[in-house]
Amino acid sequence: MIITNNLTKKYGDFTALDQLELSVKEGDIYCLLGANGAGKTTTINLLLGFIQPTSGSAFINQLKVEENPLETKRFLAYIPENLMLYPSLSAVENLDYFSGIGGKSLNKSQLEGFLEEAGLQSGAFHKRIESFSKGMRQKVGIAIALAKDAKVLLLDEPTSGLDPKASNEFGHLLQKLRGKGVATLMATHDLFRAKEVATHIGIMKDGHLKQQFVASDISLSQLEKTYLETMDYKTLVS
Amino acid sequence: MIRKTIKKEIKELFRDGRVRISIFIVLLLLGVAVWISSRQYQNTNQDYAAARLSEREVWDNQGEKNPHSAAHYGTYAFKPKYPLSLVDQGVDKYAGTSIFLEAHKRNEAQFSAATDQTGLSRFGDLTPDFILLFIMPLFIVLLGYNSFTKERELGTHSLLKSAGARGWKIVLGKWIALFLPVLAITTSLLLLAGIVLSNLPDYGVFQWSSLVAMGLVYLLYYAVFTNLVLWVSHWAKRSGISLVVSLSLWIVACLAAPKAASNIAEARHPYPTRQEFAANVLKDKEAGLDGHNPWNKEAKLLEEQVLAEHGVDSLHQLPFNFNAYRMQKGEEHEAEVYFKQYNYLKEQYQKQSGTYRSLALLSPFLPARFLSMGIAHTDYATHWDFSDAAENYRIATQKFLNDNTAQNTKYGERGYKASADFWKQLPAFDYDPPGLDKVLENNSSNLMILGMWTVLSFILLFISTKKI
Repeated sequence: MIITNNLTKKYGDFTALDQLELSVKEGDIYCLLGANGAGKTTTINLLLGFIQPTSGSAFINQLKVEENPLETKRFLAYIPENLMLYPSLSAVENLDYFSGIGGKSLNKSQLEGFLEEAGLQSGAFHKRIESFSKGMRQKVGIAIALAKDAKVLLLDEPTSGLDPKASNEFGHLLQKLRGKGVATLMATHDLFRAKEVATHIGIMKDGHLKQQFVASDISLSQLEKTYLETMDYKTLVS
Repeated sequence: MIRKTIKKEIKELFRDGRVRISIFIVLLLLGVAVWISSRQYQNTNQDYAAARLSEREVWDNQGEKNPHSAAHYGTYAFKPKYPLSLVDQGVDKYAGTSIFLEAHKRNEAQFSAATDQTGLSRFGDLTPDFILLFIMPLFIVLLGYNSFTKERELGTHSLLKSAGARGWKIVLGKWIALFLPVLAITTSLLLLAGIVLSNLPDYGVFQWSSLVAMGLVYLLYYAVFTNLVLWVSHWAKRSGISLVVSLSLWIVACLAAPKAASNIAEARHPYPTRQEFAANVLKDKEAGLDGHNPWNKEAKLLEEQVLAEHGVDSLHQLPFNFNAYRMQKGEEHEAEVYFKQYNYLKEQYQKQSGTYRSLALLSPFLPARFLSMGIAHTDYATHWDFSDAAENYRIATQKFLNDNTAQNTKYGERGYKASADFWKQLPAFDYDPPGLDKVLENNSSNLMILGMWTVLSFILLFISTKKI
């Protein structure tokens, strides 16, 4: 579903992403870990077609992103770190709009069904987004992905700022989407959540993918140790 | 996608308290402006009808009188207020409403509304054209300045981009959503004006086609503003910047450009002063025949020419009164002088209009303003047309009176009086302004410039917003 071949992005002399080789298959949840500036968000922006690669290529559902910017977006849903929706519109109205511009025309009960599936309480369906917490907005974001029937989900720090309960609920939602065969690429700082939900984990540093694991092959403490070592935080490890 | 965007934008607009207040204020202003204008329209036309009737009665009931005395006594040509002046009063307030028609002299229109007002009138009147030309574009600015910037500020921009939406569809959706309230308000105003005019005594000829044409002109004007405001909003990084730039565009287009155009046109093609104009008329008059003076050079030449033409030796042998004939020839000479001098003024006016048109490339306000006034028959072109029609009537009246004297008296005969019922034989002055076709033909360059503004601003918007 998601493939990158030697994907590179340079800004002048600065290399934000260097020859990234990545593959996220159907039903995989791939968590990219790394410090700020490691290249996680650059990877997501390249997959979204928001920026163009300096070299290499990215594919979504076998379509080259650079050559098919609109077509590839039909298969994906994106939830940024701070998902912002239209504050004067309700959850249903936001979902109706975003699924509408994604090409889906849904009736009221279908829209409510997706919100329910995303875990939003029914009392909030018709409330304006301006009164929503970040966790509630993330649920609407998941509902957008569900309504769009997205094959690929790109998440950029989706759990940052969420309380443990909301973060846990979000993890469950990702598992639910995994069950539907959605390929998820999630950039995060949250090692615990990554270990909880991921099928695969990669650690990035200075634009390079330094380490890759199958999540089930590594414990949380091993992950933490490897991460800190990769980040050159050796003093803290001892 | 377009329909969804329209629906979303409209919901956002109407849930915003500022927008609701703006719409309420614009509607209130429009209602008040239409009410004030309809009152003015009725009052002016009642005065017009009464004055026209009274003046004609005075003319018809002069009793037995010498026709040349009647020519000096004179009469008035009154300019009616045309139905669409209810929407656009144009230059009516300053152009004068009646022209005194007398022998030997072409007078300017007098009794303009502005002369009856105090200096406070400099602040302008609350009229529908003020709302349509100035307030509505401002309303578009207030409604649309953050159309795109809010997406960036809210953070919804990245979600929109990731949704796979085609840029032009989002832009078109936003365009229609911004234009719909403007369309609704403009249509309501023109419909209201049409209903009011259809139910008022019709002093001119009210035609729905003219009202529709006027509406289309305003909608094109608003389309240009909608395009520019959305383009600025797309280009600007923040709503504050977008608002300032859009307001600056409004100030330049609606306030600065028309005043600058007026100053430039006046500086490049100035009208003569009243004194210069009067001196030129007098000079030309003196160079030709004076109908009252049988001893001047031209009168003597005319006398010799007429005697030769009729093969007689004496003016007494002519089959008509030579004095009246000379008077008529004098009138014709004076009429030529006035046409020449007024044509010079008209040429200057045409040149000024040409300058305006060339400056209309800087602002869509100018072509819209000219077209609106033209369709409403409240522009200078209509005033010139009325003034020329009144002058032609004056010349015809003088001929009517002089011919009567020439046919009914002998040379040297004094004290002739036309019968009391003679005056009624003079047809009443009746002026029909140019029809809509003619107005549009005369304003074809303004139509073209406004059309060009519309097309270019659409191209600018849709090319620059290809990618959202």
